[in-house]
Amino acid sequence: MNKVLPALLRHLGLLVLSRTPSNAFECLSQVPDWFAEGLDSVTPGLSRASLIDTQSLGQAFPFIENFLHDAEHVWRDQSTPQAESGLWTEVDPLGKEFQLEARAITLEGQHLLLIENVSHSFQERHTVYQKARDIALLNEKLIAELSFRQRKLQSDIEKHLLQQQPIDDLSDSVDRNPSAVLVCQPDGDVELYNRALVNIYEVDETNNAAGRSILDKWIVEAEQQHPEVSRTLKSGSYWEGEFETSDTKGDKKWIRLCIGPVKNGLGEISHFVCIANDLSDYRRMADDWGSISDYDYNTHLPNRRQFWKHITALLETEKNTDENIALLYVDLDYFKRINDEHGHFAGDFLLGTMASRLSRNIKHGDYIAHLGGDEFVILLRFIQSEDDVISIGERILVTIGEPINLDGTPLRVSASIGVVLSPIVDTDAHSLLKNADLAMYSAKELGRAQVRLYTPELETNMPKRSQREHELLIAIEQQQFVLEYQPQIALCPEHAPRVEALIRWEHPRLGRLAPGEFIGIAEETGSVVPIGDWVLASACAQGKRWADNGHPTHIAVNISVKQLKHPDFLSKLTEILNRTRFSPMLLELEITESSFLEEMEQAIRVLNQARSMGIQVALDDFGSGFSSLNYLKHLPVDFLKIDRSFIHDLPEDIQSRAITTSVIHLAHKLNMKVIAEGVENPQQLDFLKNNAVDFAQGYLFFKPMDSSLLEQVDWSLPPQK
Amino acid sequence: MSLIAKKICMVGPFAVGKTSLVRQFVESLFSDKYHTTIGVKISKKQLQIDEHTLQLMLWDIEGVDAFTELRASYLRGAAGIMLVVDGTRPTTIGQIRELMGLVHSFLDDVPLLVLINKCDLKHEWRFEQSEIHALQQEGVTVLETSAKTGEGVEAAFRRLAQLMLEVQA
Repeated sequence: MNKVLPALLRHLGLLVLSRTPSNAFECLSQVPDWFAEGLDSVTPGLSRASLIDTQSLGQAFPFIENFLHDAEHVWRDQSTPQAESGLWTEVDPLGKEFQLEARAITLEGQHLLLIENVSHSFQERHTVYQKARDIALLNEKLIAELSFRQRKLQSDIEKHLLQQQPIDDLSDSVDRNPSAVLVCQPDGDVELYNRALVNIYEVDETNNAAGRSILDKWIVEAEQQHPEVSRTLKSGSYWEGEFETSDTKGDKKWIRLCIGPVKNGLGEISHFVCIANDLSDYRRMADDWGSISDYDYNTHLPNRRQFWKHITALLETEKNTDENIALLYVDLDYFKRINDEHGHFAGDFLLGTMASRLSRNIKHGDYIAHLGGDEFVILLRFIQSEDDVISIGERILVTIGEPINLDGTPLRVSASIGVVLSPIVDTDAHSLLKNADLAMYSAKELGRAQVRLYTPELETNMPKRSQREHELLIAIEQQQFVLEYQPQIALCPEHAPRVEALIRWEHPRLGRLAPGEFIGIAEETGSVVPIGDWVLASACAQGKRWADNGHPTHIAVNISVKQLKHPDFLSKLTEILNRTRFSPMLLELEITESSFLEEMEQAIRVLNQARSMGIQVALDDFGSGFSSLNYLKHLPVDFLKIDRSFIHDLPEDIQSRAITTSVIHLAHKLNMKVIAEGVENPQQLDFLKNNAVDFAQGYLFFKPMDSSLLEQVDWSLPPQK
Repeated sequence: MSLIAKKICMVGPFAVGKTSLVRQFVESLFSDKYHTTIGVKISKKQLQIDEHTLQLMLWDIEGVDAFTELRASYLRGAAGIMLVVDGTRPTTIGQIRELMGLVHSFLDDVPLLVLINKCDLKHEWRFEQSEIHALQQEGVTVLETSAKTGEGVEAAFRRLAQLMLEVQA
């Protein structure tokens, strides 16, 4: 094994250097030729030395010398998992170029510098970039040329007008011009327009008034993307830009427009000269060219189109062999949540990182593609057994699960992997992908973060998820949901009865299901919004009944991110309160941190409006996600609910104790009350009481229960002392 | 006389001719074919300025486009910056200030030259001279080069080398 490992690393083009305490580097793998030649060019024989000093390494490879600064940061700071150098090109003594990428990581206390020769995949990557930049360059040149011509034509017409020559003199030349021309007075009176304008907008040539209406239309449409248009024109300045418009038939068009106000001798605007060109074809062409590209720009991996080409060609050329082929369908778990909570840039970064990790896990001759979203496929050849492919899948899971630093937050992600193994002769591309996909869904169903092998039995068992989606739609239609209520017990002097409303699905076959069984699917399919509306309306109706019976009770209702961000949220909330006549003073909206992580200002605005109606707001699961104490002070929140994971480990766990007390202290400083959820034993309660938590909720007091049962128990306990 | 090693970073939008300028300067070669750069390639060239012999390390850095940002860590330790734009592409002229800001946010007081490349195609230059005049008014040195003909290339690198030596002194 001691010999095999260095040989394997060499085979993979991987050089592994370990930084010693004396700041030198020890080579843990075999020394590749390019590295030896580089070192020896600085100090002859250095490549055979047991240690390489940093200075010589830097002299031989200035790029590495620069990267060592980033590496040092990783090696010093444990919270930064790794640094990547990006790609660079070296040239060997014969003038041949090769490409390298370096990574710095700390493993088992060792500071490692990994340098990978990526020349084998460079050409593919280069082709993608070349194509993309060729297209961008061509497009840019076309637009620049067009812009130049527009300005010149506009300037010629302006000169003509300033010389007070008859505008009709321009008619012939303007009419032949391929750019659309419109000359009008500030009051809208059209003096000149040409055939190109008619062609672009499909306007009736005899309808002269169309000219002015088009200018108005242009300004309105352009302002949606360029808010400065009216202001610029009113000030008598020239404006140009591109925007989307539609013709009289409603067909969408991309227009490049320049509008030049012409001033008379008194400095007043006498005319507007407008030149427009239809860029729709350029745009379409660019899109088509872009889509011809077989690579995903973010991950730099082959995309779905390329995957189909590749697998179809592979199965065709190898159809007479007795080879096996394995397909691994990799789907990142909870990617959508990460995307929602951290934003799309972070999502793209995560995908790029995962693509790079996956690529490093396959050997030369294997194939990986990014099908889109959070889905990747890996094709493996020469696989002998199912155990082999499962073990590769498990290795990939480990790689994916390494920490990743997202916006300064260390995060671990997992994946569900479906695997199919088949002799090439017995399969086709469609079946391979379908079966691997089925196995992947099975992995998701079984709790995610695992590898599942396709078996024919899955065909009968698997439509569970899609069936669940379908059943959920029926459940909404038939209102198969019920609410349970869990009391929140006052530990502070305040003694108003409080409950949290919790949804359950009364499934016709499976019985009463907890939200964990269906809310994930509801969020993904968007049905969480109507379900959330139902919860809100039902809770308010129940609250009104309790109030009418002389038991006014505060009810906390969970509001999903999608619900809160829905443009109709406030109007629906108002409508429900009006309809049920439930007092807003008794309603509390429970939201999660993720509500604020994108479009924070909008969320704050909505919640502030709700609070102005008397509704209170609680921040749920605080500490479970990507909490930032920094933004807490900006949030319109009355209650902070400490996540049950911290309560669970109380009072033994030092960290949970520290976090809980800090959160309580901070919340009180910010005039928020604190609710502890998941309280299950008297020791936890004692700790919480000693640390001045305001309310507690959990099985120690009451499980969630139906409203009818709740009415029979004495749950409106006096404050716990 | 010992060699004075200096790092120069070539930065700018994509396809403005950074690689061609380096190639012209180092190897006196030029190719009309656009071959995009990915990542970084480092070339070396010695230059005699008065009594000083400089070993220039020319960092040819991948151009900035919709998919690629300038990676500031590549600028670390740079003694001079060549900010290259293309006179035939007005959009690249418009990127000068943004790129200068990026460079200056990472490096203090490092000599920077703006090169308007492709001066062999001056008849196709389409940008507002006022933008360049404004930069010059602010003390930015703007030079014209052609990687194709070699015009202004050696002079530009010499100028930057002199500025780097002045800063060093």
